[in-house]
Amino acid sequence: MRASTGQTNAKTAGGFFKKSMAGWLFTSPMTLGLLLFTFYPMVMSLVYAFSNFNGVEQFDFVGFRNFTDVFSDRDFYTVLKNTFLHAAISVPLNLVLSYLLALLVNQRIKGIASFRVFYYLPVVIPGIVSGVLWKDIYNPEFGILNQMLQNLGLPPGKFLEASGTAMASLIVLNLWTLGASMALWLSALKNIPEALYESAKIDGITPVKRLFFITVPMSTTMIFYNLITGIIGALQTNSTLVIANSKGRGPDNSLYFYAVKIYHEAFDGTRFNYGYASALAWILFLIIALLTVTVFKTNKWVYYGEDG
Amino acid sequence: MKRSAAIQFKAPPPTIALAASRRKKQRERAAFLTVMYLFMAAVAVVLLFPYAFMASRSLMSGREVSGLPVRFFPTAATLEAYQKFFSGGSHYMRYTLNTLKVLLCNMIAIPLSASLVAYGFAKLRFKGKGLLFAAMMGTVLLPGVVLQIPQYILFVSLGWNGTLLPMTVPNFFGGGAINVFLLRQFMRSLPKDLDDAAKIDGANALRRYWSIVLPLCVPVIIFVWIGVFNTYWGDYYSPLIYVRSSPDKITLALGIYNETTVNAPTINDANLRMAAGVFMSLPPAVIFFIFQRQLIDGIVMTGIKG
Repeated sequence: MRASTGQTNAKTAGGFFKKSMAGWLFTSPMTLGLLLFTFYPMVMSLVYAFSNFNGVEQFDFVGFRNFTDVFSDRDFYTVLKNTFLHAAISVPLNLVLSYLLALLVNQRIKGIASFRVFYYLPVVIPGIVSGVLWKDIYNPEFGILNQMLQNLGLPPGKFLEASGTAMASLIVLNLWTLGASMALWLSALKNIPEALYESAKIDGITPVKRLFFITVPMSTTMIFYNLITGIIGALQTNSTLVIANSKGRGPDNSLYFYAVKIYHEAFDGTRFNYGYASALAWILFLIIALLTVTVFKTNKWVYYGEDG
Repeated sequence: MKRSAAIQFKAPPPTIALAASRRKKQRERAAFLTVMYLFMAAVAVVLLFPYAFMASRSLMSGREVSGLPVRFFPTAATLEAYQKFFSGGSHYMRYTLNTLKVLLCNMIAIPLSASLVAYGFAKLRFKGKGLLFAAMMGTVLLPGVVLQIPQYILFVSLGWNGTLLPMTVPNFFGGGAINVFLLRQFMRSLPKDLDDAAKIDGANALRRYWSIVLPLCVPVIIFVWIGVFNTYWGDYYSPLIYVRSSPDKITLALGIYNETTVNAPTINDANLRMAAGVFMSLPPAVIFFIFQRQLIDGIVMTGIKG
């Protein structure tokens, strides 16, 4: 007994590495990947944000100048306003409508599986294809939407090509991919114990009340998840690079989003303002972090199950 | 079934009045179902209309596609747009080949790398495991917008600008936190006996990973593959940043992006764009139809729960 303990003790010094070696080796791709492609770039991004780096000749530290320059940049206010307006409408609208869609296809009636497939199908289509397609549909001259409006005796619209209607047109076309959130809701709805509904039925509780007092409270974890990912996604939208004219800005900058602005500053080919673009990225990162933390702090309404 | 059982349990012996009310209820139910189906069908028509229009428009001639009034169905269906699409002059085949190169590389790199790392997390003990796992999962919440500029500068300094390497090489390093997480969860749910038995037989960790655990992970790997395919098949943003000015490296998605934005598209080419759209939509659609049950029923969530 004593001998074996002594042996283990002797082993620990050299055995420490030996014991961990296999684990380290197996996870080493991730360790390297995190260091090379995440942590190092993160640090460098912060360094660039405080410099005037433009890729080649100049690299001087400029203190907080990039961050103060933002306030005299008229584009900054435009992209901030557009990005938030779009997120504030699109995120809740998508949450509610996709939830209703999920409730609809969660019914146990014949042929419901095919409706699930139909509603999910637009999600399968690559975003770039949807962009090309909607540009064609919304085309003021040769688009089928104006043709249909004309056939109904309604006035034509300019949709993505007029500043007044561009944002609304974008929000409407976002609705075609409701199926993505619908699928997530469906898996949440499936996890609600059937027994809850059974006992509610026996107690004579109406379907509407069952929805608001069982279904909705029991899917709050998923509501929370969809809300967080929805906000993070919406604030980084760059889909307008495809559908909006003037290099993704839209008419009178009406579709100019934050991520597109960063793209223009860094990669557009005319400007290489890596310093300024990095500062913009960090400001967006802080905004996203702040919003995420706020949502996390106010998550009293989320039901995590009996065992917390 | 359960519902009728509950009703029968509470119901007194049937009388004529009760039978009548039951008939009324059945009629109401039938009416409700009819309205429900009509509504669901209307939603489906609205959601699928644009894609049907895309397919229909891809079969029109260049003249019809630019003519007024705009028609839904072609007057005479023609494969003109597809002939143009597949011909040598359109470059689309070269673009597709580049996309396939990226896909092939990533469909090997990502499952391989992610499953190696996942095995380490799921089955092995080592110092710093918790820290590394937390660091990995932390990157999930990290907005990509902060990383794109320094990564670009890094890849340029490595001489990767104008090549497809930025879209492939990093995937050999870990294969993405979410994929590792899914595979780890699945590996943890595998019976421990298998691994233990092999251990007693003297199989080392690499052998246990390769010949016992990995083959069992095929369902999750298929799921990872679908994700990889959809991501890189439709990605136009990374190619836009890295290979925009290298014509021989342009991918299909970037090619379509160029044809609709930069290259001043004309309405006469709308049929060609629609044909490209149909071509690009088909593979993801086929994959979806094969794996629709798993995808819609959310294997992701089962994975996280397990």
